[in-house]
Amino acid sequence: MQGGSSGIGYGLKYQARCISDVKADTDHTSFLTGTLSLKEENEVHLIRLSSGGSELICEGLFSHPSEIWDLSSCPFDQRIFSTVFSSGETYGAAIWQIPELYGQLNSPQLERIASLDAHTCKIKCVLWWPSGRQDKLISVDEENLLLWSLDSSRKAAQVQSKESAGMLHYLSGGAWDPHDVNAVALTCDSAIQFWDLRTMKKENTIEHPHVRNIDYDSKKKHILVTAEDESGIHIWDLRMPKFPAQEFSGHSHWTWTVKCNPEYDRLILSAGTDSAVNLWLASAPSGDNPSESLVESPTRQSNPLLNSYTDYEDSVYGLAWSSREPWIFASLSYDGRPCAFILETCGHTGGGRISEAISSEKMKANSLVLWYGTIPSHCKTLLADFEFIGIHTIYFI
Amino acid sequence: MGTEELPMDEKAKRMRDLLSSFYSPDPSMSDSNNSPSKYASLDAINTLSFDPDRYMNLLVHKSNLEGLLQRHVEMAAEIKNLDTDLQMLVYENYNKFISATETIKTMNSNIVGMEANMEQLLEKIMSVQSRSDGVNTSLFEKREHIEKLHRTGNLLRKVQAYGDSSFRDCKRASEEAVLTIIKNLQGKLFSDSESIQSRAEAVVLLKQLDFPVDNLKSQLLEKLGQFLSQLQLEQWEMSTDSNRSNEPSNQGNAEATHEASMREFVEALRAFRVIFPDSEMQLVKLSTELLTKKLILLIHAGVVWTDVLLIDEVLPEAGLADFFLEAAHVAIKQYVASRFSHLIQDISDSLMAQTREKDGEEYSLLVTLEASKKTVLQGSMDVLLVKFENPGPDFRQLLDDKLDLLIKLKGYVIDWVQGGFQDFFRSLDDHFLFLSGKDKTISQDQGITDGLHGEKVLAGLVLVLAQLSVFIEKSAIPRVTEEIAASFSGGGVRDYEHGPAFIPGEICRIFRSTGEKFLHLYVKMKTQKISVVLKKRFTTPNWVKHKEPREVHMFVDLFLQELEAISIEVKQILPQGLIRRHHRSDSGGSTTSSRSNPLRDDKLIRSNTPKGRSQLLETHLAQLFKQKLDIFTKVEYTRESVVTTIVKLCLKSFQEFVRLQTFNRSGFQQIQLDIHFLRTPLKEMAEDEAVVDFLLDEVIVATSERCLDPIPLESPILEKLVQAKLARTKAQNPPTS
Repeated sequence: MQGGSSGIGYGLKYQARCISDVKADTDHTSFLTGTLSLKEENEVHLIRLSSGGSELICEGLFSHPSEIWDLSSCPFDQRIFSTVFSSGETYGAAIWQIPELYGQLNSPQLERIASLDAHTCKIKCVLWWPSGRQDKLISVDEENLLLWSLDSSRKAAQVQSKESAGMLHYLSGGAWDPHDVNAVALTCDSAIQFWDLRTMKKENTIEHPHVRNIDYDSKKKHILVTAEDESGIHIWDLRMPKFPAQEFSGHSHWTWTVKCNPEYDRLILSAGTDSAVNLWLASAPSGDNPSESLVESPTRQSNPLLNSYTDYEDSVYGLAWSSREPWIFASLSYDGRPCAFILETCGHTGGGRISEAISSEKMKANSLVLWYGTIPSHCKTLLADFEFIGIHTIYFI
Repeated sequence: MGTEELPMDEKAKRMRDLLSSFYSPDPSMSDSNNSPSKYASLDAINTLSFDPDRYMNLLVHKSNLEGLLQRHVEMAAEIKNLDTDLQMLVYENYNKFISATETIKTMNSNIVGMEANMEQLLEKIMSVQSRSDGVNTSLFEKREHIEKLHRTGNLLRKVQAYGDSSFRDCKRASEEAVLTIIKNLQGKLFSDSESIQSRAEAVVLLKQLDFPVDNLKSQLLEKLGQFLSQLQLEQWEMSTDSNRSNEPSNQGNAEATHEASMREFVEALRAFRVIFPDSEMQLVKLSTELLTKKLILLIHAGVVWTDVLLIDEVLPEAGLADFFLEAAHVAIKQYVASRFSHLIQDISDSLMAQTREKDGEEYSLLVTLEASKKTVLQGSMDVLLVKFENPGPDFRQLLDDKLDLLIKLKGYVIDWVQGGFQDFFRSLDDHFLFLSGKDKTISQDQGITDGLHGEKVLAGLVLVLAQLSVFIEKSAIPRVTEEIAASFSGGGVRDYEHGPAFIPGEICRIFRSTGEKFLHLYVKMKTQKISVVLKKRFTTPNWVKHKEPREVHMFVDLFLQELEAISIEVKQILPQGLIRRHHRSDSGGSTTSSRSNPLRDDKLIRSNTPKGRSQLLETHLAQLFKQKLDIFTKVEYTRESVVTTIVKLCLKSFQEFVRLQTFNRSGFQQIQLDIHFLRTPLKEMAEDEAVVDFLLDEVIVATSERCLDPIPLESPILEKLVQAKLARTKAQNPPTS
């Protein structure tokens, strides 16, 4: 891997598309991933980053009936997750629970809590209530948006409301606004649609074609990031939806997915079919944070791309930030190899560490360092030397 | 004859006969040709002279039992036919009759309704007439009244005529008086001997008299201008004089007169400012304009600066030098700015000619590019020449005079021109972005007027812009830099603080990145277009229930057409790159091709066996061993590179679309067939055959991975279907084209 941040690898048996951060697991950094094999028995892997952060360990391996096209972990229960699957012409979506004693069972079976079986066409994704214990789910198929209420104790899911997106709008995915739980953004062929879940009505649309994936900035309200087939990445301020606020070049081929960092706004990760994962830093909206003027350098303005991880063999479809340790992310390429990356970071406090970091050998090795918080004054002189000694990939956030 | 006629005709004839026999009272008319046959014939059955007994006899005599039976059957059938025909006829006629009755009925009812309507109409007409009568009578009184008024009016006019002549005399006298006053005032205003105060008063008075002061002002300005040129001429003569005769007294004398005239000029200017205090801005503008016109001349004369300096010495409180310098600043600055903005307009015009001309012309892209190139270069040179050729030598001459002020001014000019170029190229860059529709915020600011923004930006224009950016980077900027260096070696005023205003390196960098941006944009636009074709192709059919492939799918035509169009477009503008195609046998190509083909076959066979579990492992192994081909290489400014990039991106999209579907065996075979067909034309088009081969194989592999039952078509069948397709295309487009 490039830039001194080496990835920690793992291997699935088959091809795979989706990986999800297990948000509810507060003790470990773990991810769930599911395979996509047409003919073989598919599996769901629960993988965990070892405490030293040096390897990915398989914590659980469960068989899954069909190939998995979408997987997302329940935000409040680490044992529950949802999948969207298909085999041949059939399709379905279900909520699963990892059996409690799976460590002691020989072949642990996933327990199906509920089937989201009210769909009449191809299901695209399942979205969980963005945060907290709310048994609400959204599932999106090509034509409809369904709001479910999940009763995990009674093992049932019921459709609360269902609305059609209208003729000729083939929905492809969506995102639940973490700042406004009544708002959901859906992507379709030619536009981004904004729905209000109370009325189940389309409130607004942005005409913007070829959107593959969207994600809300979980820290900044009104900020939405989209990934497009050919035209890269756009950041939208929903208060001014006519034009994108920022634009990145994205990937050499399609930009498949974008993920905003759960903790540090403006830090965006994207994966593409050019077998690369890119880390971007959006420029701050003007007048947002005056203390940052020190580090505004022209080079950074012109190139928001912080780093590009290119050591993949195939297209990268799966991408997830760890919400527990937001400087770690996992990526999944189609050949079934999840990789975790740890961005090297300096802490919030004290100038000691930053000067240490600056003077350390590691820094000279062209590494990517993220600095959170303000820069202590006595380090500024040290910082001034940076350009001089030729380290350019240091970014302060 | 009857036997020779077609059965259809026979039937038609019979129908006609039947009809005529039904309608005509005289049957002989229709049968006039069929003379009653005396001799016995079986055909006589349709004639009038038909005798059943004879016929029967004849029939019985002539035919055997089989014949009779057959005849019976025929007759029965014929009778039945005739019956139905008659029935049909009756039915049709009955139908016609019914419809006729219905028509008559509806006509009847319509007429009944009409009668009522007519009655209503009549009633209405009557009421209208009565109302108009009412109106007439009610208005009658008023009309009379009006007539009365008119008469009184006439009377009054007559009365006025008497009084009028006296009024008019008064008016004329007063107007004359005003005119003389104005004339006097004007004279006062223009006479220089009067004091400024009195002239100002005159203006105020004139204003009160509603006299168009602006007109006066411009006249006065003109006069000032004349004065200025006169002054200049005077100076020029004087300077030549003083050059000739070096007597100090003479020079001093001349300088004294000169100083006087300069002072006069300043006085006049001042007077002007005092006289028209409310329009100072206008004055400044006008005077700057005037000065602009004179400036080059002035600079040319070279002498005026000494005067300015002298006056500055004599009258420091007047601030004339500063004023003058400032005016010169503004003038030159404006001049430079307008020059550059005109240039941008010109370039933009020549670029937009592309969009206005319809895309029918093949060479329009090339023409546009050449025109724009010429405009850029010529325009910049013009600016340079005008600014450098005229003042240049003088500046050098003036430099020898060691006059601080002049050096200062010279520095400014250098800065303006250099800064002008810097700004010019920067705004040209912005303008390019605007034209390409990439910078949406700019188009938002300026308001979308041209109607070519948004999605409708022509890809050709983008390509032209890309090439133009390269041209600017590679040729125009070095030229300009050279010219600047040749004309102005010294630095500008702000040198010490900021460095030179024109930084060719930076501009080059900007244009290099812009050029790349446009090239990428072009590739992106084209790929997007093809992507739509591919997307349609993959989302429309149900691949799990695909039918056996019968022919190469027609989307390949669309695909190849698009690529063809691109290569034509690209051929117009972009240069040809180094030909690498013939070197494909070197190591890079051969390793990949040896990798892909056998492995693909392997994989296909493997996946059919139940032992497909290790399939992925093998793919991994294969990927480990293969030399990773870099699909996403940098785009270069050559035809081959652009086309190859687009082909590669499209094939990658192809693969990605495939991965989103699930195929049955036939679906897989269809893709296999399509890819097989595409292989040859794509390799011809693209520069890097190995990569294209590899990508096409990848599509097949991806399809087989997504296929429930991946059994490939036999290659003879593939070949046959491809040949059939080729033959068909050949038939459609004869090789003459």
